[in-house]
Amino acid sequence: MHPVARLVNRNLTISLNPGFLVWQVVFPLIYVFVAGFAYSSLIDRVPFGGRDLAYPAYLATGMIGFNIMNSTLVSGVIIWNDRRNGMFEQIMSGPFTRTHYILASVLTQGIVGLASAGLIAGLGLAAYYDQAEPGLEAIPLVVFAAVTGSLLFGSTASIISTRLKTSEGFNVMINTVFLFFAFVSTAFYPAAGAPEPLATAFYLNPLTYLVDVVRAGMLGGGLTDLVLAEMAALAVLAAGLFALATRLLTRLDF
Amino acid sequence: MQCIRARSLTKSYGGAGRPAVDGIDLSVGAGSVFGFLGPNGAGKSTTIKMLTTLIRPDSGDLSVFGIDALRFPLEVRRRIGVVLQQASYEPTLTVSGALEKYGMMWDVPAAERRRRAGRLLEEFDLSEIRGKRNDDLSMGQRRRVQVAREFMHDMDLLFLDEPTVGMDPAARRALLDSLRRRAKSGLTIFYTTHVLAEAEYICDEIAIIKGGRTVAAGSPESLKSRFGSGREVRIRVPSRDGRIPALLGGVDGCSVSVDAGTEIRVRPSGSNEALLRVLRVLGSHGIEIDNLSAAPANLEETFLRVVEEEPGAPGR
Repeated sequence: MHPVARLVNRNLTISLNPGFLVWQVVFPLIYVFVAGFAYSSLIDRVPFGGRDLAYPAYLATGMIGFNIMNSTLVSGVIIWNDRRNGMFEQIMSGPFTRTHYILASVLTQGIVGLASAGLIAGLGLAAYYDQAEPGLEAIPLVVFAAVTGSLLFGSTASIISTRLKTSEGFNVMINTVFLFFAFVSTAFYPAAGAPEPLATAFYLNPLTYLVDVVRAGMLGGGLTDLVLAEMAALAVLAAGLFALATRLLTRLDF
Repeated sequence: MQCIRARSLTKSYGGAGRPAVDGIDLSVGAGSVFGFLGPNGAGKSTTIKMLTTLIRPDSGDLSVFGIDALRFPLEVRRRIGVVLQQASYEPTLTVSGALEKYGMMWDVPAAERRRRAGRLLEEFDLSEIRGKRNDDLSMGQRRRVQVAREFMHDMDLLFLDEPTVGMDPAARRALLDSLRRRAKSGLTIFYTTHVLAEAEYICDEIAIIKGGRTVAAGSPESLKSRFGSGREVRIRVPSRDGRIPALLGGVDGCSVSVDAGTEIRVRPSGSNEALLRVLRVLGSHGIEIDNLSAAPANLEETFLRVVEEEPGAPGR
C-alpha cells in the first residue's frame, strides 16, 4: 500500500470514534429536524435564487455546507493532536515524508468532507425533498463545494495546529474560528434582514460561499453570477490556505 | 562493520549563540548495543534527532548502513525503529489496536500483524490490558506499548531514548533482557538512559557527551578503568562516633566520606597505603571495625567523574 494510503487509513481510524460521529451526524440532524421545523414558525419563507424556500429546506441544505466545514475542521485538528501526542515526530521518524503526511491530511479531509456532505444530504432529504430542483450541475456543484470546502477549512485547522503551542490557545482559536464560520454565515439563516454590518460580514465568510454553492446545486437556481463569483473565491481561498498550510507544515520543527 | 558513522555533526537552534551539538563524532558497530549518555541538556536528544534524520545537522557527515543519511533520509528511516523520549500514542486506540495500526503504517501484511501483535502483547505483559484505550493507561503501561509497538516492523537499527521511564523494575528488567536477546540476533541498538545501571547491564560500547561534545567513549569496562577512581572501600563501625570526620580528614592520598550513620567510604587515589593509614588512625583511637568491604568502581561513579572533570564545549 502506498505510504499516503496508509496514513489516510490511520487518519480515518483515529478520527472515526463515537464522539466524532455524534458530532458529525446527530447534532446536524437535530438542527435540521428540530431547529428547522421549530424555527419555521418564526422564519416562514427564505428568498434564494429567485425562489421562496421553506425554512427547513433552507436550513437542511445549509447544514450540508456546515457539516463539510465542521468535519474538516475536526479532521484538520489531527495535526494538532499528532503534535500534542508525539505522533507527528513518530510518523516523521518512520517510512514517510512530510509530503506524504500533508497529502494524507488533505485526502482525509476530502474524504471526511464528502462523506459528511453525502450523509446529511441523504439523512436530511425529508426536510428539503419537496423543494429540491436539482439540475445536471447539482452533483458537480456539491462535489466542488465539498472538495474546496474541505481544503479550505482543513487547511485553516492545519494552520492553527502548526502555529499554536498551548492547548488553551489552540482551543480558544479553533472555537473562535468555528463560531465565526458557523454563525456569521448563511448556513443557518439568510443575510437578508440581518442588520448591518452583520449582513456584510456574512459575505466575508467562506462558509457562506460554500452553502450558497450547495444550495444552488441541491435546490436549483443554477450558476448565477453570484454563485460563480463565490466558487471562484472558494477556489482561490482554498488554494491560498492550502499553500500556506503546506509551507508551515514543511517548516514545522521537532 | 559500522552501522552509524557520524563525523563532526553540529547543530544550533535559532539565535542560540552556542551549538546544541558541537562537532560530535560517533562510530557504532553493527550488532552492538551502544549507550549514549550525558547530563540533561548535553545534546543527546538533538543528536538522536539528527541520527534518525528528523532534523538536519548544520554541518558534518552522517552515514547509516553506509547510506548518506543527509541525502537519502527516507532510505535510512525505512530501516530503523525509533522510540522517542517523548510519549507518542493514539489516545483513541486500544492497546492491540495501536499495535495493529502501527504495523499497518509500516506496511506489514495483515496476517503477520496479527501474529506479531499477539506475540508482543505476551512479551511485554500487555495481554490483560489489550482492550484498554491508550488514554486510560498509566505512564508505564503506555511506555511499554510504545516500545512494543516498535517491534511490529522489521528493522536493522533501533533507537531507544530513555525507554524505561515510568516502568516498574520488573518491566524494566524484562525489557532489557528482551533487548539483549534481540541484539544477540543481530539488531543494533542505540540506547540512551539516565539509569546508568541499565547502561552497564546492556551496553557493549558507551559514549558520554557533555556540552554537545563527546568527552569519553569506550566499553563500560574501559571507561571504568580509565575514569573510575579504583575501588571504594566501605568501613562499618559499630556505633556513630563524632570524632571520625576530623580524624580522617587529614589522611593523605584518599578521599573519605562519612555518612550520618556508621559507614565510612574511603577512595584511595593512588596506592593502598592511604587505606592502611585510615585503618591505623581508627585503631589508634580505639575505634573498632565491624565490617570492611571493597566495592568496584561502577558506571555511575565513572559517569559523574567524567561529567565533572572533562571539559565540554567552550563556553558551556
